[in-house]
Amino acid sequence: MALTELAFTFQGQLGNTIADDWSHTGVVGSGDLEVLMEKKEQEGHFTVRAVTPVRGYDEVWEKVLAKFAAESGIGDVSMEINDNNGTPFVVSLRLRQAWKKAKGGAER
Amino acid sequence: MSEKKMARSFYEASARERALGLVDPGTFTEFLGPRDRMVSPHLPVLGEAVEFDDGIVTGIGKLGKRPVFVISQEGRFNGGSVGEVSGAKMVGTFRAALAAYKELKQRHTEDFDEVRPVIAVSFETGGVRLHEANAGLLAHAEVMDQIQDAKGKVPVVALIGSKVGCFGGMGFVAAAMDVVIMSIRGRLGLTGPEAIEQEMGKEEFDAADKSLVYRTTGGEHKYILGDCNVLVEDSLDAFREALAVAAALPYEELASWNRIGSPEKVREQIELVKLAAELNPADSRDVWRYFGNERADEYQDMTTEEFLAAAKRREGAVGR
Amino acid sequence: MTESLVGRGREAIDMIVDGGSFAENQVGEQSFDADFGPGAVVGTAAVNGKCITVLANDAEAINPRFPVVYFGVIGMEEAYKMAQAVYASMEADREKPLREKHPLLLLVDTPGNGPGKVEEIFGMNKATGAYQLALAEARKAGHPILAVVIGRAISGAFLCHGLQADQILALPKEYGTMIHVMPITSISRITKLDVELLEELSQSNPVFAAGADFFYRLGGVEELIESPEAMRTAVLAHIEEIYQKKESGHSEELGPWGRGRLGEARGGRTARAAALAKLQEEYEAVAENYL
Repeated sequence: MALTELAFTFQGQLGNTIADDWSHTGVVGSGDLEVLMEKKEQEGHFTVRAVTPVRGYDEVWEKVLAKFAAESGIGDVSMEINDNNGTPFVVSLRLRQAWKKAKGGAER
Repeated sequence: MSEKKMARSFYEASARERALGLVDPGTFTEFLGPRDRMVSPHLPVLGEAVEFDDGIVTGIGKLGKRPVFVISQEGRFNGGSVGEVSGAKMVGTFRAALAAYKELKQRHTEDFDEVRPVIAVSFETGGVRLHEANAGLLAHAEVMDQIQDAKGKVPVVALIGSKVGCFGGMGFVAAAMDVVIMSIRGRLGLTGPEAIEQEMGKEEFDAADKSLVYRTTGGEHKYILGDCNVLVEDSLDAFREALAVAAALPYEELASWNRIGSPEKVREQIELVKLAAELNPADSRDVWRYFGNERADEYQDMTTEEFLAAAKRREGAVGR
Repeated sequence: MTESLVGRGREAIDMIVDGGSFAENQVGEQSFDADFGPGAVVGTAAVNGKCITVLANDAEAINPRFPVVYFGVIGMEEAYKMAQAVYASMEADREKPLREKHPLLLLVDTPGNGPGKVEEIFGMNKATGAYQLALAEARKAGHPILAVVIGRAISGAFLCHGLQADQILALPKEYGTMIHVMPITSISRITKLDVELLEELSQSNPVFAAGADFFYRLGGVEELIESPEAMRTAVLAHIEEIYQKKESGHSEELGPWGRGRLGEARGGRTARAAALAKLQEEYEAVAENYL
C-alpha cells in the first residue's frame, strides 16, 4: 500500500512559463491538493508528476491535465502535485488558480 | 481611513498566509519550504497523502529591527498534527533563533533589547500525528526542551485562533510559552471535546454543543482565567500587532507573563486547583461569575471589543 | 522471578532504594500534604547511601476531589506536586557543585493525564507543562534525571513523567510494560486505516507500534533492563554515566535532544536529522540579512 505516482508530458508553447523560478499554491487538505511549479527550459514541454493515495484514475488525471495544458498553453514548466482525493473539478480549479498566480509572479 | 480593506481573518488563513502575515511585508524567508520536498517518510507507507512542507511553515521574518522566527501549523493537512519531520522543523527553528540570539547579543552590547529575536508559533493542531505517533511524541519532548533553552534569552509567543485550535501535547507546549495571544475563536486545551465526552458521558459534556466547547477552552475563558495574556480580534493584523507589542516589552516584564515555569507560578496554579476542587464547576460560566463577571451569560454573544470592556479577569492574570 | 510491576509503583521504589530509606512527602526543605495529589508519590530515599528524589505513580490511589484521577492517572494536583518536588530538589542543592546535585528518579507507570471537564476548564495542559519545565530546568542545572518505565508510559503522561529525563530505562514487554501514544486499534479507528495493515507494518516500522523495544529503536529509550531484579544495578550505573557526561561537557548526549541523536544512530529516526541539518543550512545562508 503505497502512494500512486503518475507522470505526464504535454507539448506546450515555448517559453509560456511562470514569472519566477518557482511557485507554490494550495494545501493538501482532505479533497484538496498542492501544486508546485518550477520554470524549466525543456523545449516547450509541460511535465507533471502527481502523487495521490487514489488508484486507478490515471486516465482521469490525464484528461484533466491535458485540458488544462491545452487551455493554458503552459510550457517549459515542471509541475508536481500532492493530492489527497481531490475531485476532477477541484483539480481543474486548483490548476487554474496555480497558473494564474504563477503567471502573475505573485508574492510568496 | 475611507477605503479600509476588509481585515483578513486569522481563523480562515492557511499556515503560510499566517506566517507571512505575522511579519513585515516582504521580509519572510521560509525554511524547508515546499521546494525542499521534505515530506514525511511515514505517510506513504500507509498510503496517506503527503505535503511538501509536512503541514508546517517555518521561517524567519522581521518586525521592525527584530528578527522573528515563525512556526505556523496547517490544520487542513492531517489536522496540523506533529510528526517526525514537522517536529524537527519546530525544533530546528528554535535552535536557529537561539543561534541568532547568541550572535546578536555579541554584536549589540548597547541596544540588544531593540533587536532581541522572538519566536512566534501559530498553533493549529491536535498534537501527535498518529500515523507516526512515537516519532511525533518524541518530537514534542524536544520542543519542550527547546522552550526551556529559550528561557531568559528569547521570548516565545503562542498565537491561537485557527480552526483546529491547539490540543493534545501541543496544548502544554503552548501553555509553557511566555506569552499566549488568542482570539475568541481560538481554543486551547489538552483533551479534545470528543475525548472528554467519551470519558465522562454526554450528560456531563456534550461535544456537539459548540458553545459549551468554546466556554471550556475558548479565548474568552482562557483570557478571564489568565491562560491567555492578550485577546485580539480575529485578523492577521491584530495578531501581528499584538505580537509586535509583546516582543517590544522589556524582557523581564514579558517573562513574568508566563503561567508556569517557576516555583512561584506553580504555587499560584495550585491555588487555582484548590478553587477547582472547591467550585467543582459544571460550566466555565460558574468560574467567570466567581471572578466577578455578573454578565457571564451574555459574553458569548458579544464582540471581542464588548467582551474586553466587560470582562473581569482572575487576579494574577497578566497581559494587556 | 518477579512478575509485572504494573500498578506497583511503591514496590518498585523498595526494590531500588536502600532498605527502609524512603521518606515519602519530604523533599529538601519541603513537606507535602499527604492528601494532596495522592496519585503521585514523591519523597527522598538513598541508593547506596546516596540521597535521591523519587517521583512515582500510585495506581491504588483515588483523588477524591478529581474523580478522573485513579489507576496512576496524573491529574492537576499530581503534576503540580511533582513539579514542586523537582523545584524543592533544585533549591536544596542550588549552591552545590555538579557531583553533589542529587539525582531524580522517575518511576513511570501512568496511563494518562486527567481527561475531565474541570481539568480542561482549569487547564490540565498547564499542570503537565509545569512538571516538564521543572524537569528540563533541573536537568540543565546539573541534576541527573533517570526515568525507569516499570509499567504504562502512555502518550502525554509519558511526555510529562519520563521524556524530559536525561536517560530512560524500561523493563521489556514480558513484564507488562507499555509505551505508546495509542493502541493500534484506536489508531485504526481515528485514522480509518486498516487494523491488519497497521499490525503488519508495525512488525517492521517502529514509528507507530506500541512497545518498549520500538521506542528503543527510535532512541526514545536508552536501555532495556533485563528484569526487575536488575533495576537497582542499572539505576546506579546510569546515574553515574549521566554524572560523567555532564561533567565532561557532553550534555548534548542526554535528554530529549540526546535521544534524537540516538534515534538517528539506531536508524529508527533518520528524517529528523536530515530536516534539522537542512534547516540550519538554510538559516545560515540568510542569517546576515536578518542580524
